[in-house]
Amino acid sequence: MALLRLVSLVVLVLALGAHALTPSHHLTPSDLVRLQDVLSQPYTDLKAAYLSIVGQSKLGLSVAGSNEACDFIKSNLDPSSVESLFYAAEASQTIASCEIPVSNETRDLLHATVSEDSTMSQIHQAVSALSFLGLPLASQEVVSALKARISKEDNVLAITLALQTASHLSQQAELGEILEEIEDLAARLDDLGGVYLQFEEGLEVTALFVSAAYALSDHVGVEPPLKEDQVIQLLNSVFSKKSWDSLSEAFSVASAAAALADNRFHKPVIVSAVGPATVSHSQPLLQLQVMDVLCQSLSSANVLVETATSAATKATILSQTPFTQRDGIFQLNFMASQPASGYYQFSVAISGDSRLVGNHIELKVKVSTKVSINNMDLSVVDKDQSIGTKTTRVEYPNKAKSSFIADSHQNFAMSFQLVDESTGVELTPHQTFVRLHNQKTGQEVVFVAEPDSKNLYKFELDTAERKAEFDSISGTYALYLMVGDATLENPVLWNMADIVLKFPDEEAPSAIQSKNLYVPKPEIQHLFREPERRPPTVLSNTFTAMVLSPFLLLLLLWFKLGANVSNFSLSPSSVLFHVGHAAMLGLMYVYWTQLNMFQTLKYLAIIGSLTFLAGNRMLAQKAVKRLERK
Amino acid sequence: MSNSVISVISRFLEEYTTSTPNKLKVVDAYLLYILLTGAFQFLYCLLVGTFPFNSFLSGFISCVGSFILAVCLRIQINPQNKGEFLTVSPERAFADFLFAHTVLHLVVVNFIG
Repeated sequence: MALLRLVSLVVLVLALGAHALTPSHHLTPSDLVRLQDVLSQPYTDLKAAYLSIVGQSKLGLSVAGSNEACDFIKSNLDPSSVESLFYAAEASQTIASCEIPVSNETRDLLHATVSEDSTMSQIHQAVSALSFLGLPLASQEVVSALKARISKEDNVLAITLALQTASHLSQQAELGEILEEIEDLAARLDDLGGVYLQFEEGLEVTALFVSAAYALSDHVGVEPPLKEDQVIQLLNSVFSKKSWDSLSEAFSVASAAAALADNRFHKPVIVSAVGPATVSHSQPLLQLQVMDVLCQSLSSANVLVETATSAATKATILSQTPFTQRDGIFQLNFMASQPASGYYQFSVAISGDSRLVGNHIELKVKVSTKVSINNMDLSVVDKDQSIGTKTTRVEYPNKAKSSFIADSHQNFAMSFQLVDESTGVELTPHQTFVRLHNQKTGQEVVFVAEPDSKNLYKFELDTAERKAEFDSISGTYALYLMVGDATLENPVLWNMADIVLKFPDEEAPSAIQSKNLYVPKPEIQHLFREPERRPPTVLSNTFTAMVLSPFLLLLLLWFKLGANVSNFSLSPSSVLFHVGHAAMLGLMYVYWTQLNMFQTLKYLAIIGSLTFLAGNRMLAQKAVKRLERK
Repeated sequence: MSNSVISVISRFLEEYTTSTPNKLKVVDAYLLYILLTGAFQFLYCLLVGTFPFNSFLSGFISCVGSFILAVCLRIQINPQNKGEFLTVSPERAFADFLFAHTVLHLVVVNFIG
């Protein structure tokens, strides 16, 4: 059984996988604003300046105060540090008309850094600085240095930096081996639940990989070996975090977003409905926004509904219908096809650019409508004859003028139809209830009205049968009809009429215990364990005396036998022995009243050992005396 | 029948008073004392109930234990049994008696509550 479930689960997952993935996380316009805010914070050092300026430019924003920024870069530049040169070079390149003066020493320093002995990060910074400063590069040397470093530093970040470095090199250089690293790195990504694809080193490294891979692929002109689903999964990972811990994390996300929004090979598309995906007669247009990763609308796209099927009947309503575009929003008048109310599954395809990724989406659209109640007939029917004695038709939202009376010999009956206001089609909403409310006692009873095969709703109240629900309380009840459904725009609560119900055998109604659950309950008195009954003190005392009396008898007998202490030798050991023995007996008494076993054992050990030694001595002396006497 | 019982008892008593050494009679008196104490405790328990059951048990067991230890002492110091207790002198028997009593009293006082 378990195996069967496992197999079906695998098949299901495979089937779902065959269906193209769509992005489950993306940057909304408010997320973009937040990202911009993080990147435009004031900076205090050159690295922060670099992240801020270059990050904002990746998002397509121009940097405010470019003159101050340029001056800041120039004043904080340290020409003896490769890292500082790198930050300054790329940042100044982003700002228009900002030139960094380059001296020969600087150029030599940068060239010297490009060797097998520098770390990958240093090579990356040196090559990037040379490239952004417009200085000549020896591409083949760089390539060999990179290859050597890759074999020594095998971690993900280093190889990503290698990719980024290679994107600055001349296209004539042999970049093939470095290009293959993209595929190797992609194999190292962790697939989380089929939704996310990221490195275990974290979000920042994944985002840097995305931007580096696309930078190199664009530069060389070779499509990166990433499948569509992988691209979407990378996108999900990079954009799953909406608040960023550090400036460099925000920068990496902005960089990845820029790479995904505009590269030569893959362009993920984000489709979202404007507001809830609901259409009705008052709002007949289904509106969709089609954007790239940076929330820029793709106005050149063609949006097509491949199929639209009803969730209930599985009938296809639309097929191959295009959306029209207006002001960047794609619209479709769905109500024109006159769909019945309910849920519809839309399969939408976006085309117009061969780079589009994730361009087949499934959308659930709700069609809602207004309900109207027709032919509401209320009547009181005699049980015996089944002839309606009085049938009254009531129109919504009016109330019947006269109230109905039903006692135990009669049934109260109701029939009505629920139709769609505009099309006249019969509806069966999820909630159709009949509620009777006793105004005097506040009691209410709710019943369900059910449709028959012709979608005509009928309700019958048998007074005698249902008296239990009413607690047999006769009186005037207000009659309500409640209609509700997710696809109804106008839920109904309609007071149709008053009914006077007369129940048989009405016991003098016990004051209605309003079933108030929230009053304090009666207090529970704790019963303490009662002490056991003791015998009267007189009896206890008598028996105590009785139990102690044999001691007197013993003394008497001993006296009679002639036991005495005449032979008592006053040697120190015997004195000590008797004292010790008495002390032990005293200790027993103290143990009974005060001590615990551990303390007693402690004292007993001390006294006992003394007594033992003394007693040993004393008995030895006695034994000697006895043997002498013999 | 009752005649023979009475004559047996009187003969036993006569023999006892004449041929038993004094030391043993002292111990016998002690034994009688312990016996009576235990019997009275048991009687109380039967009549009034076992309310502090642990106290009754400890008292009764104290009596029983003391009786047994005294009997052991008596056997060991009886000169007629000397042949069977070559390694145990009367002093040694008494010392054992005292030590065993210490342990017994420790347990009894612990349990008496």
